[in-house]
Amino acid sequence: MAKVRALKCKECGAEYKVEPLHVCEFCFGPLEIVYDYEEIKKNISREKIEKGPKSLWRYVDLLPVENPTVGLSAGFTPLTKAENLGKLLGLNNLYIKDDSVNHPTLSFKDRVVAVALSKAKEFGFDTAACASTGNLANSVAAHAASASMKCYVFIPSNLETNKIIGSLVFNPTVVAVDGNYDDVNRLSSEIANEFGWAFVNINVRPFYSEGSKTLAYEVAEQLGWRIPDVVVAPLASGSLYTKIWKGFNELREVGLVDRNLPRMLGAQAEGCSPIYQAFKEGRDFIKPVKPNTIAKSIAIGNPADGPYAVKVAKESRGDIQIATDEEVIEGIKLLAKTEGIFTETAGGTTIAVLKKFVEAGLIGKDEVVVAYITGNGYKTMEVLEGKLNKLIHIKPSLIEFKQKVTGKK
Amino acid sequence: MNAMKLKLIYPQEKIKEPILSKLCKSFEVDINIRKANVQEKVGWLELELTGKEEEIEKAIQWLSQQGIDVSPIEGQVFVE
Repeated sequence: MAKVRALKCKECGAEYKVEPLHVCEFCFGPLEIVYDYEEIKKNISREKIEKGPKSLWRYVDLLPVENPTVGLSAGFTPLTKAENLGKLLGLNNLYIKDDSVNHPTLSFKDRVVAVALSKAKEFGFDTAACASTGNLANSVAAHAASASMKCYVFIPSNLETNKIIGSLVFNPTVVAVDGNYDDVNRLSSEIANEFGWAFVNINVRPFYSEGSKTLAYEVAEQLGWRIPDVVVAPLASGSLYTKIWKGFNELREVGLVDRNLPRMLGAQAEGCSPIYQAFKEGRDFIKPVKPNTIAKSIAIGNPADGPYAVKVAKESRGDIQIATDEEVIEGIKLLAKTEGIFTETAGGTTIAVLKKFVEAGLIGKDEVVVAYITGNGYKTMEVLEGKLNKLIHIKPSLIEFKQKVTGKK
Repeated sequence: MNAMKLKLIYPQEKIKEPILSKLCKSFEVDINIRKANVQEKVGWLELELTGKEEEIEKAIQWLSQQGIDVSPIEGQVFVE
């Protein structure tokens, strides 16, 4: 028996064969992988996982891939006990799940792309594609190169090329589209439907997004097979957040852990907060917004999984909060100076929102809390220009050093 | 024939206008509504637009000019 049973519409429940499909033919709802958990239960154990590769593929029994061939080193990133930040916030059991050091392109996208392109190879695709200038483009271009796949990256033509140097180095074909972001989105959907390419977050999206579940599996294993009490994660499309939730649910389903599920706390930037707004207004649909924030890696104005993220926040007795651009910068600096981890704006948003939740009394001091850091600060250093300590200039003189730096005479 | 799956969001002031009826009269396209929710302040619907490629392009452009938010069913896929 196969571990993956079918694809199923999240809205109407219609089932489909396991193919590169992503929306329901009837109601246009998104499709999700359905597993045979009884079958998986027979083959999975803590011991088997612990003996597996030191990558996300140690959880292959819970992923929609038979033979992983792409991104073999992705995942299994550090879970660090944040003693200093915890002390400052008044939390005794705060942990940082650090995907800023994911392999090969330093963000959580290496997880989802590893799964998407491994599956794409199984389906027989020879071309990978995405619309991005950021972490997603970096990861798709790198993985496509290592998998000997052709790669297309779509961007709006008014963007500077140096924004995508971290992708161009892997030699993809970059297509600059005359038009705005909406035009790029629409064209990408049309191309995904017409060409036989694996467009990672369109036609192979049901497989791609499953990669984020490994963020839950790893945390549980690294905590000694325990589910945390509270999770704080950024919200962009809503996919990562809902898949972390799905991951913890599955671990219980197959009997690897037995604790209660975590409260899911979500973080958005104030300048792009359509999921927060829907949650606060009690809406079950998302009103798209035009992003206006420095947190560009999570600035998704029309998030596909937004309604499901709202549902998870409610179901888990969680909450969603926002951070201003200034608070995002402070979040980046706070994590760096307390824990020595340099994250980008998504991580800054997560830390800023974690602080707000603590201040609002929503997290108990002894609860086990995990904050997900999903990207690396070295990619977007420009946001910190003028926001850090000034240099101290001195002449090469010991006297001047003592006077100006140490304050001693 | 091409087909495009779209989500349309109507602002409050457009809810009472027969936008889709005008669309079908002005362009050689067919619409097939799959899901919709029209309320007092906002309305959205998901539909499939079929027709020749250039007619679909023109129809989408016209809808945007009317103040309707037109996006692919996948939502925003571009990530900066």
